[in-house]
Amino acid sequence: MNEPLSILDLILNASLVVQIVMAILILASMVSWIMIFQRGFSLSSVKREAAQFERDFWSGERDLGQIYVDIEERGEAIGIENIFSSGFKEFTRSKQEGSDPDRVMENVQRAMRVALSREEERLETHLPFLATVGSTSPYVGLFGTVWGIMNSFRGLATVNQASLAVVAPGISEALVATAIGLFAAIPAVIAYNRFSAQVEIIVNQFEAFTEEFSSILNRNVHDSPS
Amino acid sequence: MSQNVTYFIAIVLATLVHVGVVGLLLVNWDEQPLSTEQLDKTYYIQAAVVSENPFTAKERREQVKKQREQSRKKAEIAASRERARIKTEQEREQERARRTERKRKAVVEKQHELDRLKALQQQEPTPAVEHIALQMDSTENMDQEGQLAITDDEKARAYVAQIQRDIVQNWSRPPSARNGMQAVLRVFLVPTGEVVDVIVEESSGNESFDRSAILAVNKADRFIVPRESRQFERNFREFTVLFRPEDLRL
Repeated sequence: MNEPLSILDLILNASLVVQIVMAILILASMVSWIMIFQRGFSLSSVKREAAQFERDFWSGERDLGQIYVDIEERGEAIGIENIFSSGFKEFTRSKQEGSDPDRVMENVQRAMRVALSREEERLETHLPFLATVGSTSPYVGLFGTVWGIMNSFRGLATVNQASLAVVAPGISEALVATAIGLFAAIPAVIAYNRFSAQVEIIVNQFEAFTEEFSSILNRNVHDSPS
Repeated sequence: MSQNVTYFIAIVLATLVHVGVVGLLLVNWDEQPLSTEQLDKTYYIQAAVVSENPFTAKERREQVKKQREQSRKKAEIAASRERARIKTEQEREQERARRTERKRKAVVEKQHELDRLKALQQQEPTPAVEHIALQMDSTENMDQEGQLAITDDEKARAYVAQIQRDIVQNWSRPPSARNGMQAVLRVFLVPTGEVVDVIVEESSGNESFDRSAILAVNKADRFIVPRESRQFERNFREFTVLFRPEDLRL
């Protein structure tokens, strides 16, 4: 009786339902941490690339066609580059077709809007998962705990001499499930909030760039009658 | 391609985080025994069930008597001091003489008693006695029951532990309880385990403390005892319980 209950004992001796709950939660925690890291890396790289591109873009050292060619040569365009290249592609195509300037601008803006929403989607991948883990895993853990406590009390009913020592291990066992649930939920919620704020900032930046770029193109279309 | 690399790194990092957390948990968990030990100490009493043989019973009764006598003596001394303040020097002298006389007598008596006991022992060897002791650590008690042999009667021990737990659970100590106090109760059971009588064999000197101890036994009402009658008769028909709070701050 003096023997301390190790956490491994607690987990291994738990009832099947509680064990399944624990397994689900550990898996959820694992996956959510993978997504946290992955999102962190990809968001920071998108931000870095956007900053670099904007610096490049506004420095005026190269003209737009050159930048476009560079991006196309590099292969798949991500983030702000994708918006720029789809806008510019649409612009040159419409201009070659010889449509009138307002039509050209309309097409360009539509193309960039599509690219922007696609980028936004890409930035937000995995975030719903984090939100789900953050909001449901405490409940899942709680379910495991309630189940475990239920069982240990049911065991108590059959014991003649009820004492705390009879129920305590069961309850302790069951509480491990809640602990794991919270362990999974807390980082997920924090990461979700942080990443959605970051995504919003990045999307705002993209939108601002879209407006600026379309104003440049607009000037270009209206100034040079072709 | 780079997407895959970031996923891989993320998986590695996530695994590291989990391994780290689990490791931390395991390391911290090792310190748990300390706290459980502390928890164990919060047991309020140590109850000892002692089956008696004639020798120890007699000895114990004598000890009780002696203690009572001593306390009576002390009271008398106090009273005499009171008187002495008023009475003359001579009377005090007389009193002292009387006291020394009595002490000497007591010593002589004790010696005599011991001799008699030794003689008895030599006459007939101590029969094999069952003894269930819960107080392995209490040297004082071991002295009292020094003649008893300890056997590994695991079964009886389990019953005793259960009885002890029952009593501990039902014991609520009065606020006047102090750490040094101890009371010994004699409990009489019938074979179904019901308590038929409880008497105070050795008072703690604090009436409410004694009463709380009696109440604890009465509240437990019914103990689980071995069904086998031989064992019951030997160990559980009547036994003594020692109440001694050990965790109090005062």
